[in-house]
Amino acid sequence: MINNEIVLSVEDLVIKFNLRGQELTAIRGASLTLYKGESLAIVGESGSGKSVFTKSFMGLLDANGRIDSGSIIYKGNDLAKYKTEDEWIKIRGKEIAMVFQDPMTSLNPLKTVGKQVQESIELHQNLKGEEAKKLAVEILNDVGISDPDRRYNQYPHEFSGGMRQRVVIAIAVACNPNILICDEPTTALDVTIQAQILQLLKNLQRKYQLTIIYITHDLGVVANVADRIAVMYAGDIIELGLSEEVFFDPKHPYTWALLSSLPQLGIKGEALYSIKGTPPNLFKEIKGDAFAPRNPHALKIDFEERPPYFEVSPTHKVRTWLLDPRAPKVEPPLLVQKMREMEVKRGDGIE
Amino acid sequence: MTSKKIISKMSDNIDPSLFEFADCDESKSELIGYSNYSFWRSTIQVFIKNKAAVALLILIACVVLFTLIQPYLPNQKSPTQIYINPETNMQYRNVQPNEEFWFGSNSIGQDLWARIWSGTRTSLLIGVAVGLFEAVVGITVGALWGYVRKLDAIITEIYNVWDNIPSTVVLIILTYIMKPSIPTIIFAMCMTGWLQMARFVRNLIIIIRDREYNLASRCLGTPTSRIITKNLLPYLVSVIMLRMALAIPLAIGSEVFLSYIGMGLPVDIPSLGNLINEGRALMMDPNQRYQLFFPAAVISVVTISFYVIGNVFADSADPRNHV
Amino acid sequence: MALNKEILLEVKNLRVEFGKSNKKFRAVNDVSFDIYKGETFGLVGESGSGKTTIGRAIIRINPAASGEIIYKGQRISGKIDKVLDTELTRKIQMIFQDPMASLNERAKVDYIVSEGLYNLKNYGSEEERTKKVEQALLDVGLLPEFASRFPHEFSGGQRQRIGIARVLVMEPELIIADEPISALDVSIRAQVINLLAELQKQKDLTYLFIAHDLSVVRFISDRIAVIYKGKIVELAETEKLFAHPLHPYTRSLLSAIPTPNPRVEKSKVIEIYQPDKEHFDYASNPPEWVEIEPRHFVLANDRELESYKKKIQS
Repeated sequence: MINNEIVLSVEDLVIKFNLRGQELTAIRGASLTLYKGESLAIVGESGSGKSVFTKSFMGLLDANGRIDSGSIIYKGNDLAKYKTEDEWIKIRGKEIAMVFQDPMTSLNPLKTVGKQVQESIELHQNLKGEEAKKLAVEILNDVGISDPDRRYNQYPHEFSGGMRQRVVIAIAVACNPNILICDEPTTALDVTIQAQILQLLKNLQRKYQLTIIYITHDLGVVANVADRIAVMYAGDIIELGLSEEVFFDPKHPYTWALLSSLPQLGIKGEALYSIKGTPPNLFKEIKGDAFAPRNPHALKIDFEERPPYFEVSPTHKVRTWLLDPRAPKVEPPLLVQKMREMEVKRGDGIE
Repeated sequence: MTSKKIISKMSDNIDPSLFEFADCDESKSELIGYSNYSFWRSTIQVFIKNKAAVALLILIACVVLFTLIQPYLPNQKSPTQIYINPETNMQYRNVQPNEEFWFGSNSIGQDLWARIWSGTRTSLLIGVAVGLFEAVVGITVGALWGYVRKLDAIITEIYNVWDNIPSTVVLIILTYIMKPSIPTIIFAMCMTGWLQMARFVRNLIIIIRDREYNLASRCLGTPTSRIITKNLLPYLVSVIMLRMALAIPLAIGSEVFLSYIGMGLPVDIPSLGNLINEGRALMMDPNQRYQLFFPAAVISVVTISFYVIGNVFADSADPRNHV
Repeated sequence: MALNKEILLEVKNLRVEFGKSNKKFRAVNDVSFDIYKGETFGLVGESGSGKTTIGRAIIRINPAASGEIIYKGQRISGKIDKVLDTELTRKIQMIFQDPMASLNERAKVDYIVSEGLYNLKNYGSEEERTKKVEQALLDVGLLPEFASRFPHEFSGGQRQRIGIARVLVMEPELIIADEPISALDVSIRAQVINLLAELQKQKDLTYLFIAHDLSVVRFISDRIAVIYKGKIVELAETEKLFAHPLHPYTRSLLSAIPTPNPRVEKSKVIEIYQPDKEHFDYASNPPEWVEIEPRHFVLANDRELESYKKKIQS
């Protein structure tokens, strides 16, 4: 349930990287508000900047990256101004923890699984020795590892991919964080395991009162877990709204394109909807709307001025000129409308 | 559903015609930035950025060039001729560096300047010959060893046996049997040197052998020889170059070692090895130290230069460092 | 999609093993199926199920331990003569999963696409070869000028298309697509799927489409085989499989497919496949590969067959 207390507030964040003598603007002024207890999904493809965006909340940017401007307000402090490791150590783990994509490489192969969870507890929860170990076993049990007492002493290579991801989640949860960022937590896993891991995260969210940010390109995962969705393209959040608003009433052409290209909506024998071309080059400054060159509904102004946010509802805002009162009325593509109709037929109805 | 503007900073005097549909040019979206990439050009560009390496490269090039042209310069003395002082009718023994003998003379009256350049020539020749042999044989054996599974067991056995024999013992035995001379030394060093290169290449090939692009080549029917030359070896260029560059100072070092134990080249063929050996004998006499100093200086320059150049080149040839 | 009933490929009791004599791992365990000319045959399973191994056994990268693979009436598994080998290299080809790893970074696109031509000397003159390369690049939607560039200058989707071009230039009949879109971005997947469908129509190709994403497989396949731990557990025409999934593994796989509908997803109940519970009597009553209704096969013993038959009738 979305409680209106704000736990993280990002304003106009700009992140740049120095790459081989040139400057790349990975994030071009993104803003986001995170409410306590919610599950927010950041959806985007590779190159959209979704990972970089969340890494900046924990000071995990690569050495050649920096926050150029903007603010990240957490508990009254502006994290964007943090420069030293000492400042970040107070945030990482204890306040904001991260679960990475590949469980193979996120675990230390030389330490037992239990030790790694226990280490996390000792660092962040002021418990030591036996007490920490007890809590570690309890957390291993919470994440669904059966026979936790015995498995405490096993090494990562003795676990399967899905089990390893559970251990990674256990380590993150053991930090007792406020915010948990999951960067593509299920992409490397099989479909059946994926469903189980997502269910696990939802259970843990309830038990430990976590606020979770999911980073993913998989709309199925998003549909499963998200309360709110932020769609990112070329370093900018172009659509932000409640899960149902984005799925059943999307307004940005990129969101339309993403939804339309899903194979679930395809009709056999006909071509799937696909977006032409490739994402823009972020080394150059982008004039106007970044999606314009690939947008079949592009207006001339999309190539000139960057669109501001337009509010569709108090919870739904979109960065597109198509919502400007002066713009021509454009209906979402047939496939997107079809999705909405299918849902209406299914019986629950949407306002 | 009406939409509200959140940020109304935008001035409302935007030309209304801008709200028309723009023409969509699909083929434009397929174009990507053209980068005129050439592997070797990028390698050289990165290499040039390292000033130390460039300086040493120029230095060593000058040294090599000089050793080649030195005999043809005017007023050069012969490296083997014993010089006799016409006044005293005695050999010019152990003369310290002066205008006549620029680097001085040794204990039997030979000109050190000429001997050093001649010795450098000889030692470089040995080093390059050994380096090339190592490269050719080492890479061929290593590639087959790593790629062709059937050969793996046999060659591993041969390697294990051969590797267990200390290379110094092999060198000594071979030079003893065949009597010291330039070809002998080259042969002896070649026999032991290629092993390490082969092992090295084999290990790298095993790592990249089963990558998808090699599987793809197999599916397309590409013969093993072409898979090795076009798919595998290009990835090994940087490490192969490094090992080749280091082979030269290593060969010179082995040659010096052999000279120390009396198995080096005969005295009438000057080489850095026996020059150092002669100089070492006179080390304790401060007046005669120049006889050690000059050959040692030359060896140091050669070793350091090849080492640095080799390493920097290997780094430059790594595509990850390319712009 | 009109099914030409001519059988192109037959796999009979295929077994593929890895490892040395006493520690053998059986990746593919007694698998049999046929592929008809012109169809898209989907092979679905999770990691470790053996699906990739089957593909590689057909294209002869992995040797078959036992069983047979028959292409157009000729046995192609085991030792075959050079002439047949060359012919097969042309007729059966493979598209790989990871576009970042399946191209030789150090070779120009021109070489990469022509590699097969060089091997088979399948062209008359240099001009002809260049023309074939150009045509292949155009067929996959790339510009011919890309031939002089290197792979790292291209995006994932474009690289995958280069991989397809290199297969097309051989003029194959059967293409084994081993998870061709799993490593691509969501919006690029549609491009590549459309391309594959288009090429199939134009050039009368047959596909063995290996994947773990059931929603894609549903869209593109005519028939689907579900594989679990080296054994095929169910095989049927696509819509029949989705309408009446019988085997418990198939059902669990279907229930786990993510749907882009938040209301459905949030209230979804996943079925978990527990082989020990479902198949408790396999030791005493081993299962068989049975055609339970026309063109719908399932791996089951008599007890299970009974309950499946009841399900179909209801």
